[in-house]
Amino acid sequence: MHNQVIGKPISRVDGRAKVTGKAKYAAEFTAPDLLHGVVVSSTITKGRITHIDTGDALALDGVVKVFTHQNRPKLAWFDMSYKDLDAPPGSPFRPLHNDRIKYNGQPVALVVAETFEQARYAASLVKIEYAQEPHETDLQHHLDTARKPASGLASLLKPPPPKARGNFDKAFTEAPVQLSTGYVHGFEHHNPMELFSSTVVYGKDGKLTIYDKTQGAPNSQFYVSQVFNIPFRDVRVVSPYVGGGFGSGLRPQYQLFLAVMAARELKQSVRVSLTRQQMFTFGHRPATVQHIDLGAQPDGTLDALRHAATAETSRFEDYIEVVVNWSGALYKAPNAQFDYNVVPLDQYTPLDMRAPGGVTGMSAIECAMDELSYKLGMDPLELRLKNYTEEDPNEKRPFSSKQLRACYQQAAERFGWTKRSPEPRSMREGHTLIGWGMATGVWDANQLPARAEAVLTVNGKLRVSSATADIGTGTYTIMTQIAADTLGLPLEDVLFRLGDTDMPLAPFQGGSLTAGTVGSAVKIVCEDLGKELLKLARKMPNSPFAKAKFDDVFFVEKQMRLKADPSVRIDLQTLVDQNGGRAIRTTATSMTNSLKQGKYTRYAHSAVFVEVQVDEDLGTVKVTRAVTAVAAGRILNPKTARSQIIGGMVWGISKALEEETVMDHRYGRFMNHNLAEYHVPVCADIHELDVLFVEEHDDVVNPLGVKGVGEIGIVGMPAAIANAIFHATGKRVHELPITLDKLM
Amino acid sequence: MITYPFQYKRAGSISEAVALLAEGGKALSGGHSLIPSMKLRLNAPDALVDVGRIAELKGIRLDGNELVIGAGSTHGDIASSGLVQQHVPMFAEGAGHIGDPAVRNRGTIGGSLAHADPSADWPAMVLAADATIVVEGPSGSRSIKATDFFTSMFETALAADELITEVRVPVENGARMTYQKFSQPASRYAIVGCAVVKSADGKVRVAFSGVSDTPFRDTAVEEQLNSGQSATSVASGVSVMSDHYASEEYRRHLANVFLKRALNAVA
Repeated sequence: MHNQVIGKPISRVDGRAKVTGKAKYAAEFTAPDLLHGVVVSSTITKGRITHIDTGDALALDGVVKVFTHQNRPKLAWFDMSYKDLDAPPGSPFRPLHNDRIKYNGQPVALVVAETFEQARYAASLVKIEYAQEPHETDLQHHLDTARKPASGLASLLKPPPPKARGNFDKAFTEAPVQLSTGYVHGFEHHNPMELFSSTVVYGKDGKLTIYDKTQGAPNSQFYVSQVFNIPFRDVRVVSPYVGGGFGSGLRPQYQLFLAVMAARELKQSVRVSLTRQQMFTFGHRPATVQHIDLGAQPDGTLDALRHAATAETSRFEDYIEVVVNWSGALYKAPNAQFDYNVVPLDQYTPLDMRAPGGVTGMSAIECAMDELSYKLGMDPLELRLKNYTEEDPNEKRPFSSKQLRACYQQAAERFGWTKRSPEPRSMREGHTLIGWGMATGVWDANQLPARAEAVLTVNGKLRVSSATADIGTGTYTIMTQIAADTLGLPLEDVLFRLGDTDMPLAPFQGGSLTAGTVGSAVKIVCEDLGKELLKLARKMPNSPFAKAKFDDVFFVEKQMRLKADPSVRIDLQTLVDQNGGRAIRTTATSMTNSLKQGKYTRYAHSAVFVEVQVDEDLGTVKVTRAVTAVAAGRILNPKTARSQIIGGMVWGISKALEEETVMDHRYGRFMNHNLAEYHVPVCADIHELDVLFVEEHDDVVNPLGVKGVGEIGIVGMPAAIANAIFHATGKRVHELPITLDKLM
Repeated sequence: MITYPFQYKRAGSISEAVALLAEGGKALSGGHSLIPSMKLRLNAPDALVDVGRIAELKGIRLDGNELVIGAGSTHGDIASSGLVQQHVPMFAEGAGHIGDPAVRNRGTIGGSLAHADPSADWPAMVLAADATIVVEGPSGSRSIKATDFFTSMFETALAADELITEVRVPVENGARMTYQKFSQPASRYAIVGCAVVKSADGKVRVAFSGVSDTPFRDTAVEEQLNSGQSATSVASGVSVMSDHYASEEYRRHLANVFLKRALNAVA
């Protein structure tokens, strides 16, 4: 009765600011006498710097200083100080630490000048000599060095591979139908449109205000505070808008370190922005080699499942992602084994990239299931349903909710799956082969603790804030909706702010957890504010609310009303006026209910059906139609949620058909480190994308019953496309991306 | 990127343009190739002579047995011209698939021919249509056969002080014609483009864009086809390009595929 705005397709509240340029990004903030830093990158992959000549650079007008490892200030000594809140186990990379080169493109100098152009030109004049050492960058050539990753702090968000169950070897050997297959993909880079930048404003008192591109302002603050030994109160990090993150902003990147170092040394404000080429000199989705064995009965029942993955990491940190666990949770195979290893190479540490591990692992298992379906002569969807599980076999516990079956049914119906002709190469129009494929998606629905503040001003306007981020997902919008809904206010009376370490603490935006995590904090803090309003109402003379408890009232149309008799109502403005001319302020922390949540596996699910057209003569692939049905709990805003899903689907097309950072292993350097040669889809590549949200009720995941939708959209797409290509052509491609040369 | 400083002159007539070009500088028409190349410093003329508003360069008309297309006609003008659709339908079809609407509304046939990008669409079409390119220079006007016009990558028989004024296309009764290409998805540039004109007597003319550094008439294939053989020697006399869009091997394959498709279309 009082649900006004949750679930409505509200347009982005920050949309106007973004299209008019009012929304400011990290490199757009400025300060008086702002200096500009340009990074010089290493041209070798491994070795030592033997000589640095900065003479020509320093001789130029406007050049203030060239920082290198030889003249950098003394900083924190221990590795621990360099560990940001998302650092994997290991010894974090320290910019300008010493003469060692650990990877190609490593920052080796920062040229600071009065203008950007001066700095850029001077950077081209810095001469660096190296003593090179042999490097190793090719995962496939060093699989023999694979080992278990180091374990760091026990991470709730990245569990180790599941324990083996049953007797895999025996079950696989005895299985009447066996499949052994493998899948490989190379490096991928996030490539958000906005380049990594930090504008460090140096205050009179030496306090820093840092405008940073980050998915978590508190993480940048923590890092700067630890590395430079500055108290939190003297470092404020602000990041109101982020031009895409996709995971790349989960860790502070080196421009932040360099800009802060320069600002502190020069006692002046400094901005450092990376170039597009330098966007390829930090985290990436790791190249991964996977192997899957499936043993089945002729009716499709899986007896045996083995999923093993080997991914690359750096020499200095063990990046981990959850790759093999999904298959074990999705299918009930009673005999199963899982393995996950890493190969350290001479490159930067990989970094979470949209559905890290999930899209990797699911691409492999869902292609393998498709292969098995042809071996069995069984419909691929039938095979999934045959092995469907209502309980998580990895953890032997129920799902908090799992409407995957409804996803399969509704997406298949929308797509017209029953009209599929099962034989490969059996659907064609002229020289165009048509293929239909499907796959499943699974992703986490986690919640972390978060804080928020709510203020009802003397004018009856609601201001809510939390130090979370909006990397383009729609956080501003859904938080505004939640706040407005909780206190019965119109959207225009609510202002939600984020991205500032002066605000109450919230985790970084990642892992599809913001909606549930920060949303819960916003809901709770607004409820607390509602309780304050009720207290004021109860104190009023002859108040009809005198005996009301919070559960007895609701908020709608700027009023508090009694549930038992909605005609008993009072304007919120009247209540604010009772507060002695002061705004009403509450802060709250939403805690996770670990006891309750720990009894359940909490996932979002999706089913994806795809049509491709493959030109038989040319090998070109067009994804002409794709339907994704998503079960992600309560959908707060179908418009922004749909945008998230279609964004993921487009990226799925990219991953399946186009995207790969290609390394020249002779030099250990990425060859296509620009947006001309790092191929992603253009509008002409995208055809019909259809999104369905399946109704799903979940009391466990968080107080709002929502599961984030930032990542689930990509998870099933690559496998569905690869499977459709097999159906079209009869060719099974085991290496993504499926470029036309692999189909010729 | 931003261009360097340059002089801008606007010509009101062909003669004025020719006079201005004689002082140095480059003709600016739709600017869709020239301006980006200046921004990238691949081209650095001191002055631009804007010929975009010269009325004499506009218009499409029939002159006896020839369709005459003013060099200042945009791709969009040509695609939507009833005369072109009726008499040289390949030009309308091909023009309709150049770039995107913004490119078609600004880019001109004269500009594209003068620029002579080896992967542009017009060169293959004017070659197969056996068109004539009329140019105006200080010593008057002259006509250049399309087959003599393209001399190398971005190089033509056009002198620096000459301006293309019109393209004259012979109208052949009963001829069938088509232009087929493998587009670069982002730009629609032809990775390989193939134009085929089949006369009423069954003889074909075949031309390719994008295959070699110079667009060309494939006379070896024409001879095979016109003597009843199958086309086995596609692009045999030229060096086939290899780049990050397509290897030499794949380009040859594409040339064969698009010739086959073009021949099917005119069968």
